[in-house]
Amino acid sequence: MSIKISSSLPTDREVVLGILNNSVEALNKLYVAYFPMVLQFILNNNGDEDDAKDVYQEAIIVLYNKIKSGSFELSSKLKTYIYSVSRRIWLKKLAQQSRKTNNIADFEDVLVVEEDMEQHEQKDMQFDKMKVALDSLGEPCKTIIQDFYIHNQTMQDICEKFGYTNADNAKTQKYKCLQRLKKIFFQS
Amino acid sequence: MRQDIELEAIIEDYLNGKLTPEEQAAFEQLRSNDPMVDHKVVAHKVFLESMLQYAHVVKLKEQMDMAHAQIDVAALAEDLRPHPSKIIQFWRNNKSAVAVAASFVLLSLVTLLSIHKSNQQEGTFAAMSKDMNQIKITQNYLIRDIKNREANKNNNSRNANNKASFGGTGFAISGNGYIVTAYHVVRSADSIYVQNAKGAYKVQAIYTDPVNDVAILKINDKTFESLPSLPYTIKKGMSGLGEAVFTLGFPKDDIVLGDGYVSSKNGINGDTLAYQVAIPVNPGNSGGPLLDNSGNIVGIINGKENKTDGATFAVKSKYIMEALNAIPQDSLSKRVSYGKKSLLKGLKRNKQVEKMQDYVFMIKVYNNN
Repeated sequence: MSIKISSSLPTDREVVLGILNNSVEALNKLYVAYFPMVLQFILNNNGDEDDAKDVYQEAIIVLYNKIKSGSFELSSKLKTYIYSVSRRIWLKKLAQQSRKTNNIADFEDVLVVEEDMEQHEQKDMQFDKMKVALDSLGEPCKTIIQDFYIHNQTMQDICEKFGYTNADNAKTQKYKCLQRLKKIFFQS
Repeated sequence: MRQDIELEAIIEDYLNGKLTPEEQAAFEQLRSNDPMVDHKVVAHKVFLESMLQYAHVVKLKEQMDMAHAQIDVAALAEDLRPHPSKIIQFWRNNKSAVAVAASFVLLSLVTLLSIHKSNQQEGTFAAMSKDMNQIKITQNYLIRDIKNREANKNNNSRNANNKASFGGTGFAISGNGYIVTAYHVVRSADSIYVQNAKGAYKVQAIYTDPVNDVAILKINDKTFESLPSLPYTIKKGMSGLGEAVFTLGFPKDDIVLGDGYVSSKNGINGDTLAYQVAIPVNPGNSGGPLLDNSGNIVGIINGKENKTDGATFAVKSKYIMEALNAIPQDSLSKRVSYGKKSLLKGLKRNKQVEKMQDYVFMIKVYNNN
């Protein structure tokens, strides 16, 4: 299985530069390269494939943010970093579900990633807050906000998509939606 | 309402840096004068940042889901799942440790090998059973002479008809007729006889251990009378380097004493089954007892190195014990009761030999082929 991991292994440098340049290909390569490692870890420590996917994606997000923030130094191997973060995330999940966390079967070296994890947990809280707020917003507000802020569509696009008679109506609708969203977001 | 919408739009443009310098200056003026506006700007900034981060993560997850779809998760999971086999589990869990250990072993092997190469014993191992057909003709004559005489005397043509093909030495490990020798002495035997000063007896090999070169024979002869209790014991521990040892054997038809010392704890090429002893031996000594001064059996003579003088090898006594323990006891008619106390301790060598003589046998192996 280690052969599989290493066969399509991109170099760490390649990945870091790729992510800094928003390269989709680099992210794909990174994702495919180290998933088996995390899958193995999770499967051998009371988890299933879905757990592995969640944990791995969260770890990649941590790495992604760290690289984007410019604070990632290539002092450790990406592989070790991803493994350590995934491990940390999974141990926490296990503890939350009060499943047993002793006798963790390890497959790689482990780094101390507490600091990064604290930062990540804060961000993750913000993310969850936003997600909850958006979900409770209801349609069509949710889609309008997502189209405008996430998919970067113009008010004109939104106006056409939702069949508003003029851009002002659309703007008013968006404004109302935004006010509600902000209210939920800041109150939660 | 209209105003609020306009204000919100301006705040967003301001935060996104889309205002012209003049508009920006005017708005900053407004912001510093009106705390309500300032508050809205700050709140909206926080909100926009959160939204941006949220958007990033959502996009990242979309990309990752696409990458995830390319992976054959089910097949991978099958491969990586905890394996029922403990060994594979262990290998997976300790891959790096095992790899380190393995490379260390490899390294030390290579080192050992290269050291060994330089001072490897060049000689080859020669088993010391006596090939009677190949030894000098004079000795052959001698043996035949004896046999003819025996045959005449006893009118017993049993032995006289056949020539012994091989010969060696063996020694009793119990009074009731169990004899230990080297496996290679009796290896190709069709029939085996043992002979001491009192007579010749037919024996049967009841246990052979080719790996350790040990064989245990049992005298199956009505004329055999049980021997008095053994004068020697079998040493359970190891013998140290330099320990004085001696052996009795039948390289010729009379018993011959060989005297020497343990010269190495291991046999040829580091063989841990055997000692190397400095004792002159000759074909026929194989299977003979090797004793220390206190009358403990420390080994069985089993060969020598043919290019080095005085390098004789003896199977360590603990393999005799192993052989004895390996015999299923219920398959024996009589228990093997080896000596518990050495009667040879403190005696002079000539007395020791005298006491031992009856317990050391010449082994004759007949092979019809």
